[in-house]
Amino acid sequence: MSEILIKNISKTYISDFKREKKTAVQDVSLSIDSAEVLGIIGRNGAGKSTIIKMIMGFIRPDKGTIAIDGKIPLDPDSRLNVGYLPENPYFYDNLTAQELLNFSSYASGLDKKTARRSIETLLKQVDLYEVRKQRLRTYSKGMTQRAGICFALVHDPEIIILDEPMSGLDPFGRKMVIDLIEDLKKRGKTVLFCSHILNDVERICDRVAIMDSGELKGIYTKQQISESEGMEELFLNVVRDKKI
Amino acid sequence: MSKKMIALIILTFKEGVRDRALIGIGLFSVFMMGGALVVVSLFMRELHKVSVDINLSAITFAGLLLTFFVSINLIAKDMDKHTIYCVLSKPFSRSQYIWGKFLGIMLLIIVAFGILTLCSSATIFFIKSQYEVYFKGFSWFSFYTAIYAELLMFFLLNAVVIFYSTITTSSFITLLFSISTYIAGQTIEEVVLFLKTRGAADMVLSEGINKIIDVAQYILPNLSVFDLKVQSAHAVSISNGYLFSITAYSLIYTMILLLVASFIFTRRELK
Repeated sequence: MSEILIKNISKTYISDFKREKKTAVQDVSLSIDSAEVLGIIGRNGAGKSTIIKMIMGFIRPDKGTIAIDGKIPLDPDSRLNVGYLPENPYFYDNLTAQELLNFSSYASGLDKKTARRSIETLLKQVDLYEVRKQRLRTYSKGMTQRAGICFALVHDPEIIILDEPMSGLDPFGRKMVIDLIEDLKKRGKTVLFCSHILNDVERICDRVAIMDSGELKGIYTKQQISESEGMEELFLNVVRDKKI
Repeated sequence: MSKKMIALIILTFKEGVRDRALIGIGLFSVFMMGGALVVVSLFMRELHKVSVDINLSAITFAGLLLTFFVSINLIAKDMDKHTIYCVLSKPFSRSQYIWGKFLGIMLLIIVAFGILTLCSSATIFFIKSQYEVYFKGFSWFSFYTAIYAELLMFFLLNAVVIFYSTITTSSFITLLFSISTYIAGQTIEEVVLFLKTRGAADMVLSEGINKIIDVAQYILPNLSVFDLKVQSAHAVSISNGYLFSITAYSLIYTMILLLVASFIFTRRELK
């Protein structure tokens, strides 16, 4: 069964002053099945983040429909079972990681005891437990990114949407995130994420969607990728419109 | 109230209460109230009026700084820096976000007013004990009534700030519009009164300007009705009917603004 179903969505941005139109996403259809890890890759401005923002209900598609577990994104309940990490996460400076995660837990309906246990486990997992009472403004970019991952996962959601989860992380941080996604995969969670780091995408994903200039150029299974010349070559060929 | 709304109110309150600007605002208010002790000693009569005026002005000024520098940041920064994604990725509707933010800011204003009221009461109490003879015309009730009216004004003004935050994308424009509304709201009644008096008979205003003033009179909040500093300084008792009217006016205006803000914000794209 599809956890996220996207049908023929298009989105055009209109600039504030010149009223110029820019097509961000054009007629994209995509489905993400339960317990599947799907990666979206593409160049900057390919439309990856726009798709994620439409799934989260931050922006509305001009055409087409989106359903998350059968609910439309404008329904707040569609996000009850979703964990989201934005690209370049920026959280409330004056809060501590502990307070941020308390908010995330209570907003998602966790009780105090479950929240405390979950927060403790996650903070230890991403190596932030010792600094949990420090204000977020003192955190480095990598630490903020890790706090953001905890924010997305604290309520143990079934669907996890990560926008560039590896951005700003050092090799250790990247490995930690990869391990985390692999752990989610083992636990049967549905994961959708965008990344520029092709090797990581190839390693983690069950399927990979390649986007360019707002269009979905193709969706490839792990087997198709391994039969081709590797992720990087496949990506370069596809965005140059050379289909395999 | 649901647990998630309480979580959002607490989040907003904590973020606001730890804003560095708040330390400056607090210190300035305490300095102004402390300054009242010195200033009062320079006067030879009506000391109670001077001390009430200075203390109420300090509270109003602190409230304005809090609204224009802390409240605006709490909403507009959410849009500017995209911290709003972290709230809206949770099961909040856009209107729940607006109401949660407003209630969080109001909690901050109420706590700030509570502390400022305590400080100013202590200041007046001290001055009163020093110059007992000059305080025969002073009434604590009038003093607290004036503070209550100021609080009602800040309910409304913060709803104005939230309303502008939903229709603009920049915190600077929100600040500009909010300050303009405050100034217009404080003066519109006087402008209309002036234009209706004989003193303005020589002035020739175009029909368009007259229409604009007429419309502005009904659309803009009349904030001068909440200014009871003069009544408090002269210990004039305020009728219950007047207090009820300004309470209802503030709450109804605030509700309307927040409903319109929710309506607009639900349709807004968060790029």
